Amino acid sequence: MITLVLSLLAFGLATFALRQRRLLWGVVGVGAHSLALAGVYLSLAAPDVALAEAAIGFGLVTFVLLLALRRAGRLVVAATPTYPLLYQQGERVAGLEWEILKRLAQRLHRDLEILWVPRQEIPRLLEAEEADLAAGGFLPAQSEALPLSRALVPTRLVEVRLGPGPLGAVAGGRAADFLPPGGRRFEDDEALLSALARGSVGGAVVDLLRLRDWHFKGKIPEVQLSYFPDQLSFHFAVAPGEEETILAALEELLDELERTGELEELMRRYLR
Amino acid sequence: MKWAAWLVAMILGGLLAWTSWGLFPRPALPPWQEATAYWGARNAVAAIVLGARLYDTLFEVLVFAMAMVGVRLALRPLPKRRARPPVIESPLLERAADVLVPAIGVFGVYLAASGHLAPGGGFPAGAIVGTGLLLVALARGIRALAQEFPQPILSQLEYGSLAALLILGGGSLALGWRGGWLLTLANMLILIKVSTGAWTVLEHFAAHRGEV
Amino acid sequence: MEGQVALLLAVSLLVLGLGTLLSRRNVIWKLLGLNVASGGAALFLVAVGHRPQAVPPILGWGPGPAADPLPQALILTAIVIHFATLALSLVYVIFLTEHLHTQDVPKLERGEDE
Repeated sequence: MITLVLSLLAFGLATFALRQRRLLWGVVGVGAHSLALAGVYLSLAAPDVALAEAAIGFGLVTFVLLLALRRAGRLVVAATPTYPLLYQQGERVAGLEWEILKRLAQRLHRDLEILWVPRQEIPRLLEAEEADLAAGGFLPAQSEALPLSRALVPTRLVEVRLGPGPLGAVAGGRAADFLPPGGRRFEDDEALLSALARGSVGGAVVDLLRLRDWHFKGKIPEVQLSYFPDQLSFHFAVAPGEEETILAALEELLDELERTGELEELMRRYLR
Repeated sequence: MKWAAWLVAMILGGLLAWTSWGLFPRPALPPWQEATAYWGARNAVAAIVLGARLYDTLFEVLVFAMAMVGVRLALRPLPKRRARPPVIESPLLERAADVLVPAIGVFGVYLAASGHLAPGGGFPAGAIVGTGLLLVALARGIRALAQEFPQPILSQLEYGSLAALLILGGGSLALGWRGGWLLTLANMLILIKVSTGAWTVLEHFAAHRGEV
Repeated sequence: MEGQVALLLAVSLLVLGLGTLLSRRNVIWKLLGLNVASGGAALFLVAVGHRPQAVPPILGWGPGPAADPLPQALILTAIVIHFATLALSLVYVIFLTEHLHTQDVPKLERGEDE
């Protein structure tokens, strides 16, 4: 009976660990699985093996893995897909910000790892140090006090009106700040667009880049726009405490790209 | 392609489960009590590891030593990180380390010394002592601790225990030494070998990748 | 009964580890899968050595049949060797990361410096 319970626990922990996307959770899960496995050995009348598994499989292996994949080894980017800046094309990631991130990772000698998350998750991930950078058309909301890079691509917010009803916006970003009272917040672009298609919202507050993408993909027709007055721009944001390392390297990289004219060339290629 | 990988894994697992189901019920054991007492042990596992299958254990310790040499050699050309003092977040960890480390050390030595009488033995004891060193390292910084245990002395301990273990094994295999003293001694040597090896790995990883 | 349960767990851990080993692209994920699979292989041998109502194979532990000590002795050394080889392979992963800046196996095979 005890064997059965411990076996289910060990199998569940292993499944949990190996289904994760973040390596850290995977390593911690595999460590917990080793401990449950030691319990299984104990219930199988093998105390020597149980001791060895607990001391080596749980203690040493977990610690060596943690040392090997320290944050120094990877650059974790939390991002929302935004068409010409950072997007997925089949298996590959592409975009203007991707080109910059790739060079930054090379400069820092780190591996690039992108977490695709809803926009409202990004500040929490950065503050919990689960991600180092935020990208993918990052427009900081007024309440977010994250360290930002220089202005990368200028943009503005617009109000699109397709019919009667409340306005909608993606939750968490700058657009949600400009939502008039009664506006509705959505988790991501897809949810907002399907609500627009259903007619449950009459319009949207959105930045120009996304709006252009929606037009290209035929998601919404050409309509009258009204511009919000503020001049905004897309940034990278870094995790608090990384100003001197990642942000400094990023600014240095951007300086260099500007000096060599590479940045201009990239802008022309991706933004046309 | 992913589903194909999982399909292959499941087919192999199914074959294994199907073919191994006939292994039950298991036949009765040969008289293991006499064999265990012959080697001067009460724990049959220790009698096998350090008696009947001593060749296995000796070469296994050699493989362990080779892997540690490999870790040292392969990490040598890589750049070392700048040493940064660890951030002590609370004095609790430091106090806990001061209190716990002697206890962990004594427990490890006890496990190794009584490995032929009760569950234990040199391998888990070495890992436990290695983990205890790690606790101190977390509290005081791996680099600071590494200066207290200089590499040359550690290497001498590691290779010295390996040589002593080989001599002991040779004596057992060629001259027929056996008894409780041999098992205790071998377990203590394995404890030294495994704990120094584990510490080497941890220290080298930390030196090249930074502190935890 | 316990032997069969543990055998099933061992086989499912092997399948899980092997599937991860084959389907993930990151080398460290592959090593984690290998870690789980090796745990499954160890458990398989220990499960085969188990008997119903067995006690640990230590003299004077109590009445009842003893578990087979031979697979336990083999697994004891295998766990230590697994740690040593894992540490060595992680060293090579670090080496590759420093030189090729990637842990993605298809990219490593192309030798791409990306």
